Amino acid sequence: MTVPVVAANAVSRTFVMPAGAVHALRGVSLSVQPGEYVSVVGPSGCGKSTLLHLLGCIDVPTAGSVLVDDIDVSTLSDSARSALRLRRIGFVFQRFFLLPMLSAWENVELPQAEAGVSRAERRQRTRELLEYVGLSARASHRPAELSGGEMQRVAIARALANRPGLLLADEPTGELDQATGAQIVSLFDRLNADGTALVVVTHDPEVAARASRSVRMRDGEIVEETTRPCC
Amino acid sequence: MRRALAFAWLRLRREPGRMLLGVIGVTAIGALLFDMLLLSNGLLVSFRERLDRSGFDVRVIASESAVIAGPPIDHVSAKLTELGRKPSIAAVQRVRVASADVADHPSTRHLAVAGVDLGAPVPWTLLEGAPPNAQASPAPLVINRNFARTFHLTVGSPVVLNGRCGDASRPLPLDATVAGVAEFQNDAADALTAATSSQAVAALCGERGDLADMLLVQSNPAAGGPDAAAAAIRAAFPALHALTNEQIVERFSRVEFSYFRQLSSVLTTVTLFFGLLLITVLLTVSVNQQLGEIAALRALGLSRARVMAGVLCESALFIGLGGIAAVPIGGLLSRWLDAILRSMPGIPADARFFVFTLHALEVHAALLVIGAVLAAVYPMRLVATLPIAATLRREVVS
Repeated sequence: MTVPVVAANAVSRTFVMPAGAVHALRGVSLSVQPGEYVSVVGPSGCGKSTLLHLLGCIDVPTAGSVLVDDIDVSTLSDSARSALRLRRIGFVFQRFFLLPMLSAWENVELPQAEAGVSRAERRQRTRELLEYVGLSARASHRPAELSGGEMQRVAIARALANRPGLLLADEPTGELDQATGAQIVSLFDRLNADGTALVVVTHDPEVAARASRSVRMRDGEIVEETTRPCC
Repeated sequence: MRRALAFAWLRLRREPGRMLLGVIGVTAIGALLFDMLLLSNGLLVSFRERLDRSGFDVRVIASESAVIAGPPIDHVSAKLTELGRKPSIAAVQRVRVASADVADHPSTRHLAVAGVDLGAPVPWTLLEGAPPNAQASPAPLVINRNFARTFHLTVGSPVVLNGRCGDASRPLPLDATVAGVAEFQNDAADALTAATSSQAVAALCGERGDLADMLLVQSNPAAGGPDAAAAAIRAAFPALHALTNEQIVERFSRVEFSYFRQLSSVLTTVTLFFGLLLITVLLTVSVNQQLGEIAALRALGLSRARVMAGVLCESALFIGLGGIAAVPIGGLLSRWLDAILRSMPGIPADARFFVFTLHALEVHAALLVIGAVLAAVYPMRLVATLPIAATLRREVVS
């Protein structure tokens, strides 16, 4: 049996607010296999992003467990979780969050440098990634000099820098027009075809439809799972 | 840490306005800090240098309460003879200071006249003329430059002094000849100073006693140096107070110069506080402007220690660059301030308030290192406690 790249087992997440506790997730279980493409859809506030944050080890569940490559994340220290994220998980955000003072090349190179990749390897990998996302010609440009779609493509290249087995994307087309969003979706298709597991949180039905499995959430629970028989 | 430093340096280079603001601020504050450190010890170091330059390493006085001017020492000749026999003492000089003015001259300014044994080592450096001969008549007078300039005197000029000292009914005019122009220890820039034989000063003041205000002693380095000489003097004359240069400096440090140290300590603390405040504000504003990016970097796998190191390195770069630039600027500023302070009346011409020492540089560097860490504490805490998921959520919502 294949080990899932990430598995959430009956995870709950409760936020304690001044007005009272908010139960963002209630006993959700979700397993993502290597190379799988999963979309998570549902209305605002249903817990999609919270689930993504738990899968990405940037938040911890109030109850239940998250396993990345069969490792229970709750047993890891903060620095071990950081190391796990650095090497095994890539993140793409709605608002890109590129470092404004760095060029596209430097943004992509940064996670590799942090992972201790040699300069020569970094150069090679960064060149490949920028070619992959079609931005070789914009390598020396800073985020302020790029369009929204270009910024998101740089952010995807950055997320892939250390060859993660899992890419998590939170509303990756949320800030983009339809045509640009379609480019990003095509890029995700290509990424998935090349073997990267993807979990994409989206409001966009067209983005969700590209996934091999779609998970619908409501009020902190998974209410429906649809699998596309064939890609 | 190396990566954090390289990244911090890159960030600062790419944000020249912020870097300039921080570095210029630290340079200005660092220059003041450096000057305070030079001032805190400068007068003492300068005082010690002046004592050592005099060639005498033990001073003997009659009263412990006053190092410079106190009651006179009596029966000086006998004491000099006895001290001269001590193996730890190489030479002894007596000094009797009197006040006088120049006869038949419109200037009402008094001059200080030192009476010494002209055959012993003297506490001045001759610039013109020849060493005075004790047997010469009229009395040989060594004068400072200011005296020569004010009264238009040169070597060989005759001068008549009226004593303003001792018993007012006894002073007699003293006929003297300028034997030389010299530089005297502790002379203020505007001082009128002269020296002659102790006999001439006694005559000038109408004194019959064998008196001195102070004995200056050169110790014998081969026989235990100044400590041994001072001990021998105390043993021979328990009523006298023998102080080595070291002891005089220590006493001044404890009493007379402690005000300077306290003043500079207060100013150093205030200066350092403003430096810390500037860098803390710059770093905190920068961190707050980039919470989303920092949370994203944490999500991408940068550790908590790594983002904290980034903030610390930025602080270190601001304070390091500003602190280095502060040294030459503080040095130039101290020369200007020193000139202002030295122009105050009564300050010895060779006294210095701001003296560069390696120790001051080391303290400056140490304070800056501590400052860099302290300035980074709050912004480091901000990034260390940043909740990644909540920050990303908040940034998207905002």
